[in-house]
Amino acid sequence: MRGILEAAIYVPRWRLKTANISETWGQSTAKGIDEKAVPAADEDTLTMAIEAVERLFSNSTADRNDVDHVAVATTTPPLAEGDLVAKLRTATGLPANVRTATLTQHTASGAEALATAIDRDGLSIVVCSDYPVGIPATTDHPLGAGAAAMLIGEDARTAVSSVGWYSLDAPGIRFRTADSVQSLGITNYERETIITAVTAAMENTATDRSIDYAVLHQPNGTLPYRIARSLSIDTKKLSHGLVVKTIGDAGTATVAIGLLKALSEATTGEDTLAVFYGGGTAAAFNCTGSLNVSGLLDFDETESLTYATYLRQRGYLGTEQITGGGANVSLPTWQRSLDSRYRLVAGRCPLCDSISFPPDGACQTCHERVSFEHVPAEREGTIVAASVIGHGGAPPEFTTYQQRSGRYAAVIVELPVGDQSVRVPAQLTDIDTDEVAIEIGDTVRSTIRRIYEQEGVVRYGVKFTPNMKNRQTD
Amino acid sequence: MKDVYVIGAGQSPYGSFPDETYLSLFDTAFDSLLRSVGDGFSPGQIDEAYLGTLGVGGRQIGLSAPAVTEYVGLHGIPTTRIENACAASGYAFRQAVAAVRSGMADVALAGGYEVMTDTSADQTKWWLGVSGEMEYERMSGTTFAGVYAQMASAHMKKHGTTVEDLSRVAVKNHANGAKNEKAHLQFDCTLDDAVNAPLVADPLNLYHCCPTSDGASAVLVATSEVARELSVPMIRVAGTGASSGRVGLFQRETLTRIPATVRAATDAYAEAGVDPDSIDVAELHDCFAIAELLAYEDLGFCERGDAGAFIRAGETNPDGSLPTNTSGGLKSKGHPIGATGTGQIVELVSQLRGTAAVQVSDPTYGLAHNVGGSGGGATVAILERVEGRR
Repeated sequence: MRGILEAAIYVPRWRLKTANISETWGQSTAKGIDEKAVPAADEDTLTMAIEAVERLFSNSTADRNDVDHVAVATTTPPLAEGDLVAKLRTATGLPANVRTATLTQHTASGAEALATAIDRDGLSIVVCSDYPVGIPATTDHPLGAGAAAMLIGEDARTAVSSVGWYSLDAPGIRFRTADSVQSLGITNYERETIITAVTAAMENTATDRSIDYAVLHQPNGTLPYRIARSLSIDTKKLSHGLVVKTIGDAGTATVAIGLLKALSEATTGEDTLAVFYGGGTAAAFNCTGSLNVSGLLDFDETESLTYATYLRQRGYLGTEQITGGGANVSLPTWQRSLDSRYRLVAGRCPLCDSISFPPDGACQTCHERVSFEHVPAEREGTIVAASVIGHGGAPPEFTTYQQRSGRYAAVIVELPVGDQSVRVPAQLTDIDTDEVAIEIGDTVRSTIRRIYEQEGVVRYGVKFTPNMKNRQTD
Repeated sequence: MKDVYVIGAGQSPYGSFPDETYLSLFDTAFDSLLRSVGDGFSPGQIDEAYLGTLGVGGRQIGLSAPAVTEYVGLHGIPTTRIENACAASGYAFRQAVAAVRSGMADVALAGGYEVMTDTSADQTKWWLGVSGEMEYERMSGTTFAGVYAQMASAHMKKHGTTVEDLSRVAVKNHANGAKNEKAHLQFDCTLDDAVNAPLVADPLNLYHCCPTSDGASAVLVATSEVARELSVPMIRVAGTGASSGRVGLFQRETLTRIPATVRAATDAYAEAGVDPDSIDVAELHDCFAIAELLAYEDLGFCERGDAGAFIRAGETNPDGSLPTNTSGGLKSKGHPIGATGTGQIVELVSQLRGTAAVQVSDPTYGLAHNVGGSGGGATVAILERVEGRR
């Protein structure tokens, strides 16, 4: 049976409590949400997608080279135009000839990605990655972040047996203008419309209402209960997949993350219903079985932000662009080095067997001009030199980032390559350098983040996160 | 090969001079140089010039060195601009020595200039750290403060060096520079000041970092025939060494040494026929406090790992066994990038002539150590006073 073979989630480390929002604004529109996930200053929907896919493969026996289809859904792509799947594919080392698809525009786009993968042959990757952005005074309150990645193929542990659809014109219900999510707040009309669509989609599947778990469209923590009651589904069946309470409304990723969490708690033979809704379209999936899901510790390993830090980190408070420009690494040069920047590809010297990074120029040990054998370094390594860069010590192209992130750590990491090692300079991320001392000898793990932006082009590359070992697997 | 002598050395004040240009600053340095050579010499005797600059701020990016020599009236002589980051004029000095040794020139000018303080804050930031390894090191969010901080972290971890050891470099160099009327930062600082200053790149704080300065310096080297005609003491270039290294710290085999310094020093000592114990006074490249401590070890002044103890014992104070940075060093005298290398020679000439503001007792050998970037290039020059004033 075709379905979900493997899966992983990624939720950013930082959390903002709804209580902090209420304290600031006098009220909150984040109903039924205790706290929400907040991306770091160097994260976006692409970096979250990459991390989810890396986690998927870190616990998988599947071969990346067998993948022939990658579909990514998000309402908030990092650029208004441009294929983020091409970047995701390159960063994760998937084959260059995979069929790519970017689904966007509404929060049921994840359903479109998943349904397409279910309906075809071959090995597909489906990623739902999102962090919608709103107006801080109102619509931003519930908006969170997260990503889910699924490997779709035959002989799946979780079979996806039935997909039902329904769409209707639904003017004025959650939509996004140029830069932020809007809502007209006409709640009764909104609720009724969503319930109509969701009910119809569910009725268009072969699902009966005796399902064991239900993961329903959850833009807040209360609407799923109203939908369940309307569908006569026992609301106890919602709890496993009601992730909006702790990660917020992560756009098209919320139901996908909720589905994976519910499947990780289901047992063989149990049925889980997942219903996406977005922009007038609803889609329901009936899934049977259970699943090992990587990354579930992200629900527990969190750190809280103050509201002011949240605004600064997400750039709501504004940042300065240094007019002088920055170090110029030309785009062709950057492109040529992407394997090293994304996947730590180093060079083994054919003469002396030692490792050079980057794999370019003469061997750094025997100094002979050689053609290196390209070998990726391991993703986990050890800090061998460290500095925390204060405001006087950052290059201008990092000014904007530093204004959002605060002081950051710049380190040299030693990474194993076979029985040898190589050193790579990089930043640490997901660490509050005011709270945590960085020590030589600490182990760190690579991740892909936004490095800096020049001429409107975001340069992505490797950074390292501390103590990621526990976050890697469930 | 011919013996080469330093017949004069001069510099402009180092500091922040919004009214000056790189041309006018060099003009001041050139005046100071001619006064240092004294009577019996005419600028028309200069055959060749090598001038170092990084070119901070843009300005005359191409051909600034000929613009300088023409400005000071050295009309038509071959002039070469040298860019090796902060070691630009250390290399210029070496080239001038080579020109005389080879017989190509009887008198060669080496110098450098930089204007760093007259641009907007944004422009200045742009130019900071442009000599780091650009593709990876800079893209990890570092300028040199960060890279030297990483070296400091590794040295502290490996050898137990402390923030107080780093701070002693600032205290000593400021004490010396406070007496140097051409120094940029002519004030004393206490150990407490230097330990508790605001962090720039942990573990380095403001007092562990040199300033950015405007300034110029110039040195003349000549054959013994030319030198003997003059009335100034004979100072021989006993040895020079230079070496290159990987531009990025992460690409080097060590984080706690600067291999280019070690190689340059080995060559300079061999050529001079002396060992580190023979050195009486040294100008070291203390762009960051850790750099002076690394230099103690890389130049063989103390054992590996002992730099902290070496400065704690006062060995490098003016009354110690090996006074370093009697001029104030980059920390207090200042660091106008292209001028720094030949600016160090200015102090050594003063010491060997016995006219320095912080004078060491009767020195014979002086050593100058100039580093480009975090160690992508380094030069070491050893000067010897061969006879007294005649």
